Amino acid sequence: MLFNSLSFVVFLVIILALYYSKLFSWTGKKRMLLFASYIFYGLWNPPLVILLWISTIVDWITGKKLSTEGNQRKRKLWLLLSMFVNLGFLGFFKYRDFLLDNFTAVVNTYGYGYQTQPMNIILPMGISFYTFQTMSYTIDMYLKRTERAKTFLDFALYVTFFPQLVAGPIVRAQDLISQFYEEKKATINQFIWGLFLLTLGLFQKVVMADTLLSDTVDKVFVPDKILNFWDAWMGTLAFSGQIFFDFAGYSTCAIGIALMLGIILPDNFKYPYGSLGFSDLWKRWHITLSSWLRDYLYIPLGGNQHGIVRMYTALMITMLLGGLWHGAAWTFIVWGGLHGTYLILERLQRQYIPFKITKWNGMFLAFTTFTCINITWVFFRAREFKTAWNMIGSMFYLNPEGEKVLGSFDILKVGIIIGILFLCHWFMRNTSVEAVSKKISPIALAVVWAIMFFLVVIAQGSGEQFIYFQF
Amino acid sequence: MQLKQTLIIAFTLSILSLTTWEVFWRSQGVYPTLDDNEALWANQRARVESASSNNILLMGSSRVLFDMQLDEWESETGIRPIQLASVGSSPLPIFHDVVNNTNFNGTIVVGVTPGLFFSTTSPEAQPWQWPQSKVDYYKKRTYAQISNHLLSLPLQKNLAFLSDDQGVDGIKLKELVAKINTGNRVVDPMPPFHDFGEIELDRNLKMKQITVTDTAYANSVIKVWQFYMKGAASGPPPDKASTMAFFLNDLKIIQARGGQVILVRCPSSGGLRAGENMGVPRSKFWDDLVKQSNLKAYHFEDYDQLKDLKCPEESHLSAKDAQYFTTEIVKIMKADGSLTNLKTN
Repeated sequence: MLFNSLSFVVFLVIILALYYSKLFSWTGKKRMLLFASYIFYGLWNPPLVILLWISTIVDWITGKKLSTEGNQRKRKLWLLLSMFVNLGFLGFFKYRDFLLDNFTAVVNTYGYGYQTQPMNIILPMGISFYTFQTMSYTIDMYLKRTERAKTFLDFALYVTFFPQLVAGPIVRAQDLISQFYEEKKATINQFIWGLFLLTLGLFQKVVMADTLLSDTVDKVFVPDKILNFWDAWMGTLAFSGQIFFDFAGYSTCAIGIALMLGIILPDNFKYPYGSLGFSDLWKRWHITLSSWLRDYLYIPLGGNQHGIVRMYTALMITMLLGGLWHGAAWTFIVWGGLHGTYLILERLQRQYIPFKITKWNGMFLAFTTFTCINITWVFFRAREFKTAWNMIGSMFYLNPEGEKVLGSFDILKVGIIIGILFLCHWFMRNTSVEAVSKKISPIALAVVWAIMFFLVVIAQGSGEQFIYFQF
Repeated sequence: MQLKQTLIIAFTLSILSLTTWEVFWRSQGVYPTLDDNEALWANQRARVESASSNNILLMGSSRVLFDMQLDEWESETGIRPIQLASVGSSPLPIFHDVVNNTNFNGTIVVGVTPGLFFSTTSPEAQPWQWPQSKVDYYKKRTYAQISNHLLSLPLQKNLAFLSDDQGVDGIKLKELVAKINTGNRVVDPMPPFHDFGEIELDRNLKMKQITVTDTAYANSVIKVWQFYMKGAASGPPPDKASTMAFFLNDLKIIQARGGQVILVRCPSSGGLRAGENMGVPRSKFWDDLVKQSNLKAYHFEDYDQLKDLKCPEESHLSAKDAQYFTTEIVKIMKADGSLTNLKTN
């Protein structure tokens, strides 16, 4: 079920009515939320709920064993079982065809003429998110960084909690399970603020991403077209806006919906296009994934504790796998590799040519960072390398006679939207929507809210899927 | 934060602005209409799963949608056909789906618009890709999509601002924004395209009366057909060999299980008809199809009561003429013994 759909509106109203009715005890409410979460997921493809159940049961049993088992070797085996099941699902459903294609390509370079049958496996929605979330529980249990969930119900709800089930935020066990132990009820202000965040998230998704930017992106990212300089840049800038509004929109909706239930989810985006460099970017873009990769991949690989070479290697491996997490394609790996390279270059710059960031050079640095991010988005969005290289060539003015596909208004529209987006991120980088809303009058906030709601309704989105659902 | 106050004001402003928006569009002559989208088509396709040998399926392009009126067909035969035609489409992908993915063994009426029927079997080409996307949607539709559509129907039926008119008549935010035109950096060669039909829940579609009464409106649609004709003239030639082979292959399958297929050529007129005669002449395309398929076939030009029908925009019949055409063609079919599965006579 999509947040930007009529079914979800009805679903949410029913859930809220049941949640705040006196029909259930707290345990009953949690059972209702769990059941609702399975409905939320199952309305997309019912059989795939079984994967959720298997993940939940395996990790519940693993957690139970890890909490009581003293033998280190056995503990490791339990952890490996959990990793095998979760990564096995991910590998089978998401990476099987990719691995097989590459295996075939390599084998055939030696003239074997090997052929495979594509299985056309359905990618279960949000599998990368919930497997990472549930794996964090077992890894933390193994490392004794978190307590075992008190009940199976609490754990199952942690794995399946519908607001963040399919596209995050990826929440750690200690941050979410503990919230299920005692009855939660939103205060009036929390409830209304949650509703505001839901509207804001839908505005970002339906109006900004789907209505104002997606067509421009689709016109530009077309295979076999050599584009004009302006078209390539404006298409890429439009995608930078589309992917931000799409994904941040989902996270904002998720945080808002959870807040309406009295549950606090962590921020996932903090004005990433106002970042001062790439370390800063990864503290602001998809924060829950980057902190997951840091804690469960970068640090175990050695982090910055074992010398420069090992640190750079760990950094690059982390970013390459981070790229692969987004999709089973080499373009995503290149996207991760570019970010890894940026991070290494940034550390080298800090070491050999350090400079102090002031308010004068800060905006220039943020703009440079944003420009470099855009280069990476080309590989993220292009379905194949040829399209990406054509785009990059045009962006670096290597195709001066390239085709024009965008009208003057398209260019103006993207320029204005992305310009405002960048400035907004720059000026908001040290604050939050909530802090700003406290400073303005209730009437001004109400007008902004009403405008967003009005635009969401008249945009009449056709229920476009969120981009990150495919990851 | 005084969020209660904020919520009340925001709610009031939202209701006021949406009411104003609705009143404004109604004052501009917009009224509630259903969206002829994949979900509406999929509902009809779902009916085929339980259809019996008495049922009739209509397939083809927009001419079948406009010209075959379900009420008239039902009153003549006692059976209300299932309307599966799709605008701008070759009937072949939908025919292929029904033949190969169902056990249907009733009657299929295939509308032959030669420029589309014989256009292509390439999955990327528009006449194939559009209907195939409907078939794919049906196969993959989720329970969430089914319930979304179900919930959207009362809103579509009652709110003008949800009107799904396309092109220059579109009032969705995306279409309103797309109408803003500054400069001539990239010129869109496509003339403005008015939406000229309105569809019902079972996909019975009628031409809007304005197309009949307003010549300028009809002429604007004719310009779009001329644009497509020019494109077709400079594009790849019709792929008669592969389209014919594809159709005949599926035909064998459905005939083997007792299904019946009837071919119909709906009217066109004026410059469009002249263009069709040049690009896809009857003798070379329609007549050969009838000969090779050995099916019952009805060409509007072969019947005195049908051959002089005029299409307001050269390609589709007005609602009134479509009712007449349906009644007459069904009478002809009955007299010819083509419709054997009648409930009443």
